[in-house]
Amino acid sequence: MITVTPRVQPDSQPIIDLNNLSPDQVALNINKLNLYYAEKQALQDITMSIPKGQVTAFIGPSGCGKSTLLRCINRMNDLVDHCRIEGEINLHGENIYNKNVDVAQLRRKVGMVFQRPNPFPKTIYENVVYGLRIMGENNRRVLDVAAEKALRSAALWNEVKDRLNESALGLSGGQQQRLVIARAIAIQPEVLLLDEPTSALDPISTLVIEELINDLKKKFTVVIVTHNMQQAARVSDQTAFMYMGELIEYSDTNTLFTTPVKKKTEDYITGRYG
Amino acid sequence: MDNVNVGRHISGQFNEDLERVINHVMQMGGLVSKQVSDALQAVSETDEALAKHVLSQDYHINNFEVSIDDECTRIIAKRQPAAGDLRLIMAIVKTITDLERIGDEAEKIANVALESFSSKQKDLLLNLDNLGRLVLDVLQKTLDAFTRMDFDAAIKTHGADAKIDREYEALMRQLMTYMMEDPRSIPQIMSVIWSARALERIGDRCQNICEYIIYFVKGKVVRHTTAEDMKKL
Amino acid sequence: MNTWFKSGSPWVWLSAGGVSISLISVIGLLALIASNGLSYFWPSPIYQFDLKDELGNNSVVIGEIYDRETIPAAQLAHTDIVLVPGVETVERLLIKTGNRELVSLDFRWLLVPQIIEMTTPEDLVVIERRTNGNFYGRIDKVIQAGEEVSLAQLPELLERVNGFQADIDALQKENIGAINYQLERQRLKERKHALDNTLTTQLSQQFAAENSQLEQDYQVLEKQLLALREERARDQLVVIAMDGQKLTINFEQILNLHFNNQMGTFAKIGVFLSQIGGFVSDDPREANTEGGVFPAIFGTVLMVLLMTVIVSPFGVVAAIYLHEYAGKNALTKLLRIAVINLAGVPSIVYGVFGLGFFVYMLGGSLDQLFYPETLPSPTFGTPGVLWSAITLAILTLPVVIVSTEEGLSRIPSSMRLGSLALGATKIETLWRIILPIASPAIMTGIILAIARAAGEVAPLMLVGVVKMAPNLPLDGNFPFLHLDRKFMHLGFHIYDVGFQSPNVEAARPLVYATALLLVTIIVSLNMTAVSIRNKLREKYKMLEH
Repeated sequence: MITVTPRVQPDSQPIIDLNNLSPDQVALNINKLNLYYAEKQALQDITMSIPKGQVTAFIGPSGCGKSTLLRCINRMNDLVDHCRIEGEINLHGENIYNKNVDVAQLRRKVGMVFQRPNPFPKTIYENVVYGLRIMGENNRRVLDVAAEKALRSAALWNEVKDRLNESALGLSGGQQQRLVIARAIAIQPEVLLLDEPTSALDPISTLVIEELINDLKKKFTVVIVTHNMQQAARVSDQTAFMYMGELIEYSDTNTLFTTPVKKKTEDYITGRYG
Repeated sequence: MDNVNVGRHISGQFNEDLERVINHVMQMGGLVSKQVSDALQAVSETDEALAKHVLSQDYHINNFEVSIDDECTRIIAKRQPAAGDLRLIMAIVKTITDLERIGDEAEKIANVALESFSSKQKDLLLNLDNLGRLVLDVLQKTLDAFTRMDFDAAIKTHGADAKIDREYEALMRQLMTYMMEDPRSIPQIMSVIWSARALERIGDRCQNICEYIIYFVKGKVVRHTTAEDMKKL
Repeated sequence: MNTWFKSGSPWVWLSAGGVSISLISVIGLLALIASNGLSYFWPSPIYQFDLKDELGNNSVVIGEIYDRETIPAAQLAHTDIVLVPGVETVERLLIKTGNRELVSLDFRWLLVPQIIEMTTPEDLVVIERRTNGNFYGRIDKVIQAGEEVSLAQLPELLERVNGFQADIDALQKENIGAINYQLERQRLKERKHALDNTLTTQLSQQFAAENSQLEQDYQVLEKQLLALREERARDQLVVIAMDGQKLTINFEQILNLHFNNQMGTFAKIGVFLSQIGGFVSDDPREANTEGGVFPAIFGTVLMVLLMTVIVSPFGVVAAIYLHEYAGKNALTKLLRIAVINLAGVPSIVYGVFGLGFFVYMLGGSLDQLFYPETLPSPTFGTPGVLWSAITLAILTLPVVIVSTEEGLSRIPSSMRLGSLALGATKIETLWRIILPIASPAIMTGIILAIARAAGEVAPLMLVGVVKMAPNLPLDGNFPFLHLDRKFMHLGFHIYDVGFQSPNVEAARPLVYATALLLVTIIVSLNMTAVSIRNKLREKYKMLEH
């Protein structure tokens, strides 16, 4: 290793060593995770630590297992038939695949936003407070405060504050996606999973969401799956490149996008035949 | 060209774009080295016509720089290159700046050829010729290494600058002695010093280009590092 | 030609043709029923025919033209009728002459060649009566309390009688009916105590006292009723029939009275509308061949609504189980096929099943358990509106299940995932997200169920419909909704009037009118459901994915 002392520090944030995170820096710890759909193995021996309060991106070609890995984190794969999971994912040192884990509780701690905006056919307000109502909160004042907070955090408040009681389906695609994010953060999760959140949006809406993600990491740990490499480069602090169910390379985004170590990563991010 | 690895992009157009810009850099490099060698020849043979020719050719190099710059900007805007591609583009952008400067140095050398020297002073020019040949050799090796993106050659050529520096030092001492011996020849010697200085600068710029090659191949910035560190890469 | 085929226009024409044929048949059907049914209510002119029959006798016939037809002359060969030679066909008219008490038939065929003159004198009157059908003829005298008064008093006197009639109806149905109902309940209570061996002397004395009180009330009411009836029977009308016979009709017999030949168009429209109103709101008379069909309308609507209330939750729950909870295995497939095939079972089979299972088994056991005091006369162990509704609910269950399942499977999975990802459990997701979104599809199922149930007659004949129900299933006596009662149904009414009445010819327009009404009711029930569905659709409109 050569000692380079750049005169100007490129980034003011401290560089974390992904291979050597202290326990209070870790949000999620994935350990030797294998996943099988019936006989087909979709994830092979994934081991990684996702740091707290940062944006971690999963990139890779279609079918590489990045979405599958994301869905493992809040056990959405439980809904898939013939899906078998080995290994563990630790949240606060507890394996979320333990038998006594309440999946609904887990999903309140690990929120998720999907590829296409999926607001419920209810009013904007009811969409945002849905999770709270599920948790049994019905006090109008508490809900009002939470809804405003969530909408402000999702950078949507100014656009919808006058029409909270209109149908959420009247919003534009980008607004809907931010509404869905507001809905997810209204229940104060610790981790927010974003599954290609901008793939159905126009470039401007995409930028707004990316800006939002940058704000969100102050409060939540964000894990984002994207097939848009530039997006991963723009929004994430860490990037994991996956290929055919394997974790090929996992390092900080600046390194991965300028000087990747593995040839597969290089080929993928420069758009070459693998 | 195997290190450059321009091909194999899924986008054929991207391949073409990169190949075109690399070809332009090669052409520019060829032109620059021809300018330098022409300028040196003009000086050693006091060929006024050749010197004028060199001066008249410089704008080609400038044009090359501008157009390659343009192409690189376009590639960045349209293709958002990453990793190796990004480093290649960055290396090219910086290399052409240095090449253009080398072209300017060649102009300076050609200017020296237009001055009138007495036959005694021709010896001075002979010394300059030695340095010139050395620099020209380094320049060509640099361009070679660039063409092949050859890491080892780049390291070697990077080291060759030290030899140029030594030669330059020696020439300077010699010129000092001449000046002390014959103060009347100071103006002419000054212009020789200018061209020696220009040659030394060309050596430095070749060194820069080698650094860019190393950056492209290894992804490490080796500017301002010691030769030992560099060898460890 | 080839290119014309390739252009696809033949298919466009073919499908357009199919659509137009369906449209034309629907419109034609409605137009036929409407014209035949509605003409029944239109006050048609009353003709006076002067006839000379084959024996040379002159006679007068008064009545409405009902029908006309052309018959071959050969058909008349065996009679004494003299025909002009060479004439092969003879036209004849069907005349409704009414006056059932004077002639045996209220219809009569007249041969057109025998008619000397056909006039519409303005003094001809048609009187609609409570019994014996219509009277056609002339008014001779109006008698008020035994004294003759002028014809101008007629409307006033009619008004008076009608007022009494309303009072009498109210007294009979509400007050006396209520007392009778209470008496019956007292009797049942007493019997129940007797069966349970809890009848003490004190209790039986108390019952006796209450009963005698009720009896007294009854006596008072009966007196009132008699007084009213006497008042009502005060005035008479003397009329002359077509053959010159004089006849006295008491005013209490008269429902209404029209001089059809004097009426202008607007007056006719007025009569037309009031006749329709009467048809819709009155009870039937004369073995259903006259009067209104209100109990049948009420019975139909009530039964359909009950059926809807029963079928919707069961159908929805079954569909949710099949779609959300049942595993994707052979058993589920089998279940689904069974449900779909259930829709193909002939409806009369459901009737038989309903009679055997619900009425006799379920109803019989219910009677044993809860109504031992009324036995041997059954309460639920006999056909009734509840069993009809349940039978039809089973009949329409597959429709609701299939369309609900369809609706459930159309909901994008992103909705479910979105809700689950927010920490909702499966049941919370179902209840808060899936069911509201699927509600338009559920409504579609209910609409189809209503459409099927309202038109079904065959099974009902076994499990609850009667020709004439004395009481509506809903009245003012506790518990107001009497699910054990039998009821009348428009579909059955059509069948009954059309095939079972003593005077089929007279009842034919009524059949059309009732059919029109049935169609109207089904359409309006459907329209209500459709408008609810459209509102829901608007509310839960999904994104254009």
